Amino acid sequence: MRGCRELLSRRIYLVCLVAVPVLFTLFFINMMDSGLPLKVPTAVVDLDQSSLSRQITRNLASSELVSIDQKLESYHEAVDMVRKGDIFGFFMIPENFQRDAIGGRTPTITYYCNMTVFVPGTLSFKGFKTTAVTTAGGLVQTTLVNAGLPESTAGSLISPVSIQQNAIGNPWMNYNYYLTNSFVPGLIELIVMLVAAFSICDEIKRHTSRQTLRASGGSILVAIFGKLLPQTIIAIAVGVLCQSLMFGFNHFPLNNHLSHIIIAMALMVIAAQAFAVTVCCAIPNLRMALSICSLVGILAFSIAAFSYPVEQMYPSIGIFSYILPVRYYFLIYIDQALNGIPIYFSRFYYIALLVFPLVALIGLPRLKKHYLNPVYVP
Amino acid sequence: MKSIASNISSWFTSLLKVWRREFRLVFSDVGVMLFFFFLPLIYPLIYTLIYNTENVKDIPIVVVDESRTPESRTLSRMLDATEGIKVFDYASNLRDARTMMNEHECYGILQIPGDYAKKIGRGTQSVATFYSDMGLLLRYRSFVSALTDVQLALGTDIQQKELALIGLPAQSVSGAPVNSQAIMLGDPTQGFASFIIPGILVLIIQQSMVLGVTMLIGGHKERRRRNGGVDPLAVKASPSATILGKMLCYVTIYIPILFYIINIVPEIFTLPHIGELGDYIIFLIPLLIASAFFGMTLGVLVKERESSMMVVVFTSVVFLFLSGLTWPRYAMNWLWTAVSDIIPVTWGVEGFIRLNSNGSTLHEQSFSWMMLWILSGAYMILAYLVTRFDYKRKLQPQSVKN
Repeated sequence: MRGCRELLSRRIYLVCLVAVPVLFTLFFINMMDSGLPLKVPTAVVDLDQSSLSRQITRNLASSELVSIDQKLESYHEAVDMVRKGDIFGFFMIPENFQRDAIGGRTPTITYYCNMTVFVPGTLSFKGFKTTAVTTAGGLVQTTLVNAGLPESTAGSLISPVSIQQNAIGNPWMNYNYYLTNSFVPGLIELIVMLVAAFSICDEIKRHTSRQTLRASGGSILVAIFGKLLPQTIIAIAVGVLCQSLMFGFNHFPLNNHLSHIIIAMALMVIAAQAFAVTVCCAIPNLRMALSICSLVGILAFSIAAFSYPVEQMYPSIGIFSYILPVRYYFLIYIDQALNGIPIYFSRFYYIALLVFPLVALIGLPRLKKHYLNPVYVP
Repeated sequence: MKSIASNISSWFTSLLKVWRREFRLVFSDVGVMLFFFFLPLIYPLIYTLIYNTENVKDIPIVVVDESRTPESRTLSRMLDATEGIKVFDYASNLRDARTMMNEHECYGILQIPGDYAKKIGRGTQSVATFYSDMGLLLRYRSFVSALTDVQLALGTDIQQKELALIGLPAQSVSGAPVNSQAIMLGDPTQGFASFIIPGILVLIIQQSMVLGVTMLIGGHKERRRRNGGVDPLAVKASPSATILGKMLCYVTIYIPILFYIINIVPEIFTLPHIGELGDYIIFLIPLLIASAFFGMTLGVLVKERESSMMVVVFTSVVFLFLSGLTWPRYAMNWLWTAVSDIIPVTWGVEGFIRLNSNGSTLHEQSFSWMMLWILSGAYMILAYLVTRFDYKRKLQPQSVKN
């Protein structure tokens, strides 16, 4: 009950715990509602100006990946535009392209993609490459048919082997499914840790910790539990609300039972609080505890491997991903919501989330000592 | 006339006093020093180490080979030889392969159908199927590029042989009639660190400064609250002299840090770094000024030292997204474009990446640079208003609630 009153008395807790995650979810969903930033602004440098090169330009323009915003005269002009950031790539058709292509002198198409911004760079690369390959294929077919082969044989000769690619769970390559589903729980974890650490160590700063202990009958477990329980309830409610925004209103893929992902959220919130308690036990200083929680919370966005896989990192860095609650949440999300595989295969992730509170319990006696003798270090 | 001159000179003296006092405040505050020095020193190193392996290589896949012919084995061998894929194991059927995928032992399954070699021999198109786990888009990206390359190489190879059999001169259709060449600008290896770190560096500059500045303001408010509305450590100065003096202090402190972050860190890790040092510094000075005033403006939300972290930390993630590094700005709707326009770091990231990785000149980034100066001006006015408002408000010593 003390926790409740404290929670309500300070605006900062409520703003952080409720408003920020919900706004953040809306921000993500709204910003990336198209799933992929298609129609990357690009340009064509057509030095040939023949019927064939115009055909290629039309093919490029009909691609959903790139949008041909400019038709430029020279390489230098195009590079200048890349540097200015007006375009993310350009496709260059050399002089005498048509003549050389038909005459068998093998001209070279060159395309340039600006990889300093990954997603548009990759998309323009994909669009350009497809066009370059199909252009070559079309020319081979023409040559073969001219040489007297039947059209069907010529067709299968162009690509005798084809590897069909199936993207399980996300055939639309929707980028939003990853970003929103990793950054929102990451943010919830960060805020839950900060609020928990703040409320625990603030007592030491204000020298009210002894009164708290007295109210709980001298038991640190009861004191911390009572303090954090209202936060837990609010955070879980907010977490589920964010999930309902994603899976419910915006129909993100959820290929298994709803309860699996809700349990994961609840366990992650508790694990994040336990993490904060562990930090506070180790360093019962408001500023340091908050610093460590924000350091961990912010680095979690990178180390928990939402975009760059852990097994590719240096092992000495990648190992830190195992101490982050949100990492397990994300893996559960991939297994349960995106892939929809049986929960049996995710069992260890759930167990890992349960380990965090146990670790926190070990540290509590140390925190009790500091609660009895509060010292504030600015 | 004389009074105006003396007013101006006293304004300048107070400004210098604020400047000097702020230095003392910064260097006597461990918390602020942590943000101003430790954080910009260490964070860039940690971040780069996380991503420094750059490319996603040798992702394990399982092959279900129902053809069991030299042709099908060639296909798996060629895939194994690519940078992105490693053939981890063979499975006898799709079910077993699926179980291995569920156990997280592999991230892709290649199924080669029973008639794979037969179709190649017959001269019709043979189709193999690849199932990709979509847990991470980067893995999928590596798969796609490896599969496409193998498909093209294998295709050309078979084509040549077939044509020789038919009796056509291979010369007339030698491989491809058109070559194509892809050139990656800015990040030639397509590495992840080379892409994301230059932007993160600029973000660290702004966020560490904002954290430190808001913490100083929180400390100032705490002291005022304890001393009946007066901060014993503050210099008596007008609001304008106060904010300018503070800004000068922060910018002076940050110049060496700026040099370290934008010049030494990319050198340590040999990240893309082809611009001119002079250009970087000139370009980012308005970012420092804008960040200092931005911090002072945000200070209005901070009531005590430690709550600065609660207010500022999570904004890093939002600003990272708004800067257009992960989700390009052309794909945002008008609302988010407008919001990102008023955050200094958006322009800082955009301009710095182009200077640093694309080798652009300062002249080509004049728009971003101008925006940084405009934001500096705007936040200076806001910081002035906030500070003046704060001067007038009386802070009551807060009673400790029980």
